[in-house]
Amino acid sequence: MDDKHTFTLVLFFLLTVGIVAVFLYAYLSSLPSSSAKGGLTNPKKKRFLLFFILMEAVIILFTLTLPRSPYFFFANSTPSKVVFVAARQFSFAMSYQTIAPDTQAPAKAIELPRGKPVEFRVTSFDVNHGFAIYDMSGNLIAQTQAMPGYINRLRWVFDSPGEYNILCLEYCGMAHAFMRTSFNVK
Amino acid sequence: MATLQLKKLTSVWIITILVLFVLAIVFGILMRFNQGNAIHLSPVGFYSMMTIHGLTMIGIWFVAGMAAVNFLLQRYIKVSAGINVFALVLTVIGVVMLWLVTFVGEFHTGWTFLYPLPFRGAWKEWATPLFLLALGVLGIGWFVWSAGMLFQIFRKYRPAQAFAWQHLRKGSPEIETPPFILISTVTLIGIITCLVAAVLLLVLYFAEYFSSGSFVNDALLMKNLTFFFGHTLANEMLYLGLASLYELFPEVSGRPKFKMTWYVALAWNCTMVFILTAFFHHMYMDFVQPFAFQVIGQMASYFASVPAAAVTAFSVLAVVIKNPIRWSLTNTLFFVGVTGWLIGGVGAVIDATISNNFVLHNTLWVPAHFHTYNAIGNVLFSLAFFNWAANEFGGKGHTDKFTRLKMTLLIIGGSGFVIMFYIGGAYSVPRRFNVYPQEFSSLSILASAGALFACLYLAVIVWFLVNTVNKCLKVFSAA
Repeated sequence: MDDKHTFTLVLFFLLTVGIVAVFLYAYLSSLPSSSAKGGLTNPKKKRFLLFFILMEAVIILFTLTLPRSPYFFFANSTPSKVVFVAARQFSFAMSYQTIAPDTQAPAKAIELPRGKPVEFRVTSFDVNHGFAIYDMSGNLIAQTQAMPGYINRLRWVFDSPGEYNILCLEYCGMAHAFMRTSFNVK
Repeated sequence: MATLQLKKLTSVWIITILVLFVLAIVFGILMRFNQGNAIHLSPVGFYSMMTIHGLTMIGIWFVAGMAAVNFLLQRYIKVSAGINVFALVLTVIGVVMLWLVTFVGEFHTGWTFLYPLPFRGAWKEWATPLFLLALGVLGIGWFVWSAGMLFQIFRKYRPAQAFAWQHLRKGSPEIETPPFILISTVTLIGIITCLVAAVLLLVLYFAEYFSSGSFVNDALLMKNLTFFFGHTLANEMLYLGLASLYELFPEVSGRPKFKMTWYVALAWNCTMVFILTAFFHHMYMDFVQPFAFQVIGQMASYFASVPAAAVTAFSVLAVVIKNPIRWSLTNTLFFVGVTGWLIGGVGAVIDATISNNFVLHNTLWVPAHFHTYNAIGNVLFSLAFFNWAANEFGGKGHTDKFTRLKMTLLIIGGSGFVIMFYIGGAYSVPRRFNVYPQEFSSLSILASAGALFACLYLAVIVWFLVNTVNKCLKVFSAA
């Protein structure tokens, strides 16, 4: 698990613990039904505080995360390599040249440079597929969709050399789990 | 006051839903065991099961919410029993068609049936048109049902009153809109809207099917329409469950009814608007989608969920904290359901953030969060209604035996089941893989562990089913 995924999981579990703690407290603080009335003190103030914190958190989350969206990655750089990707049930074709729908892509191994932006131009010749790049440790590091009639451009810089795997992450039929390929970064 | 006819109808809905729920859970468990290499299903068998599991779960919890709202609406307005029967008959016909399509026709597109997969799969030729027809049958039944209820609401409340807009102004309004009416109205509007999108989707599918190749749809448009319909419907079914909560939770807890306030009105009006564009988050990884839609998707995902969740959670907590509460299975299910819904909501908001979605989309994080807010969220809202209704129909008061034991087992089973998904998602394990490739083989144990926890959850559901069905059947002998 890489740092980003670890952070996400830890954040999720911390927030979960917080929610469970509040609800557990509420449950344990409730009184037998025969008791005299108690209740939350200052509910309006607490409600305002909850809303204020939540709305602030949402706005901060939105502002901080939007610029980190993949659409902006290396948008102002010129890719050092362009790789054309054509997905079809149940294989990927990858080439440095465009791939025609009715031809087989050359079975040439793809090698990409380390530390320089590369661009994947991803499409599909039949149904929707996913184009997900996994590093050598099995972490999902980048992805886009392969959609018939459209080309999704994914830009990325690979920091480490090695063999990266591509898995299809959009369900595409009975052999979906076996649809994969790989490329090398040197 | 509910008529005997409505009680009988609601009982039929409850029994049908619980039986289908048990079967759909069994399919889910089999799929997880298959991913854990404990059993070996054929790929077609696995994906047919996956398809019917998703369709059944969405369908039954949608109609569960509708049946509950229909029953409770009777307290405020008269709802046509004929429309309820019509919806029931069409739902049963639609479900039978879908099961036929998947298990005999081997149709296995997943519940999302993303275009053009229905035209490009290894299944019987008749399966695709019958599948689309089944959706049409369900759509007609549900549209008429929703429109019928909405029409009756608008006969009693002017639209502005049904939306509780008078509560957004200063001062005490002359007519108070019950929260149940507001949430039902907002939800029924959303349902009708997404069913209209479903009609358009089906028309486009049939146009291509009958065109013999002369007409081809646009994949991006079809994907947007599919998720506008599918995502919105899945969200609305949650809100149907919440409508029951607003109506019943204080009542069964022995507390005063929830009153309409400006912030409840505002939160649910926000939800009505934003929920219609939150579905864009399904297209984050389609980089060709207009950028504005991606931004709207993230913003709407936050603002459709956070205000309504905060208002509901605060209202429920304010009822419970340091107050005398008559705890029963019904309000405990509601209470735990709100907790599960919020936790699943946190998982959903994380995934609905584009920069996270980049490394979580279509991993196990997705089934993790939606199983959380369904299996230990929305489902519990509907089970709470079922329990309350069954006690009304044939129980001896609103006290249930073994409430703590049932809830403890349900929480352990449900939580263990979803935790395995979250860990899998954080380890980048793909969703919808019938078997895991070499690099994830060490994580397949998570799938089997998840299945074992789900067995515990299933055991409680079967226990609940037996108790509930026994009580519901008394309505028929009472006649």
